[in-house]
Amino acid sequence: MCKNMPPLELAIQFHGHICPGLLIGVRAAELAQKQLGIEQDNDEELVAIVENDNCSVDAIQAILGCTFGKGNLIFKDYGKNVWTIISRQSGKALRIAQRFGSTAGPASERFRALNGKHDLTDEEAGEKEMLIGELFEKIMSMPAEDLFTWQQVAVKIPDRATIRKTVRCDRCGEGVMETRTISRDGQTLCPECQMN
Amino acid sequence: MCEANVYINRASGEELLMEKVDRIVPGEDQTVFLENIFGERKVVKARIREMELVHHRVVLDEIREESHTVHEEIWLEPSTDHGHFHEGEQVRLKLFKGSNMKPGHHAHFADLKAFVAGSGGVKELHFHDHHGSCELVLGEENDGLLQLWAEENENGQRRLASVLVEVGHHHHHALKPAGLDLEIFPTDYSHARMGESYEIQVLQQGKPLAGVEVRATFAGTHQKDYPHRLTTNEEGKVRLFLTSRGNYLFSVSVDDLTSTFTLVKSF
Repeated sequence: MCKNMPPLELAIQFHGHICPGLLIGVRAAELAQKQLGIEQDNDEELVAIVENDNCSVDAIQAILGCTFGKGNLIFKDYGKNVWTIISRQSGKALRIAQRFGSTAGPASERFRALNGKHDLTDEEAGEKEMLIGELFEKIMSMPAEDLFTWQQVAVKIPDRATIRKTVRCDRCGEGVMETRTISRDGQTLCPECQMN
Repeated sequence: MCEANVYINRASGEELLMEKVDRIVPGEDQTVFLENIFGERKVVKARIREMELVHHRVVLDEIREESHTVHEEIWLEPSTDHGHFHEGEQVRLKLFKGSNMKPGHHAHFADLKAFVAGSGGVKELHFHDHHGSCELVLGEENDGLLQLWAEENENGQRRLASVLVEVGHHHHHALKPAGLDLEIFPTDYSHARMGESYEIQVLQQGKPLAGVEVRATFAGTHQKDYPHRLTTNEEGKVRLFLTSRGNYLFSVSVDDLTSTFTLVKSF
């Protein structure tokens, strides 16, 4: 990469497209960086606890570097636009919550309706483009105070991800993390073979 | 009133727009959002004329889109996929003719001239035909910022196109307008990023031009007409929030002269 990619571009490249959910995640990630004085994670200096699995989480992964693969992205399936970012170095944790209704409005509703539709007409594609432009400016220009509430919270800092031993499943022969196996009739089975 | 039928007054007369509407929200930009009990939604450009609550009837007046004159214009785009060239790379640009960043079919160019201003002063360039495209080839350029412009004269219509081309990275030095008869010039060229505002100034004979319409568009837009129309303030300036990746085009017309500026972005 010959130019430093701005956070927004990192998120778009990771996610694949621009949408309001991603932009909210961009704002949340940038707020966390500012409030905690943190840079992008390299090797689990940060942990993100996310309470949803929507588009915003891709911005958290791309900008903060808290990723599914590194094990420093913890998903709690609460269906809430809440992200708690923890810095291991400072021991600080910031809980950011989107204000209810902060991006609601006709443009948002219409965008959702068009987004859920497959074969858009040319007019609808044009309308969707204008709506995303309108929402884009609104979300990126809105004062953080209007978009989110945030506070430092006391949390137990999760342990760093552990690399477990891989063993062979006696039925399928594939490798499986030892802690995910069970022993049945003297055989070591992976979760898939346990069910079949 | 539980729900209502919504009618709209169009030029052709009144027509039923949506039945059993249970939610009407006036939006920004003269829009009205409608939702009915079946979950159908519509956004129309209209204003509410009348609400007959007893008869469960709402009447809107359609706001008709203004029809705009199509200005044929020329614009320059660098032949690079990431917004700038590297030192030692061959700097090439294409000239297009059309409107709203959509080139016309079989565009014909008449009486063309092109110039480049860089560290070595201003020099004239020559266009080449490259597989049917009108192309400028500068060759290998040193690290720096190049200011290019082209001019076409066709049957009394004058068309200007200008662009700034970056060779290398991070050029933040101040730039001066080229001094064109009608010129669009960025007030701070180095900050052009999606998700941020970008400001340009319109100059006529080097002086700020207030109250003139600036059309703005971006590569790949789905809009048939320019998605943005802005009016310059007393300093001849307008700001646009950039919501698209890739290049933007700003365009302005005064009498028989149309001038464009291509904003080339890395992101």
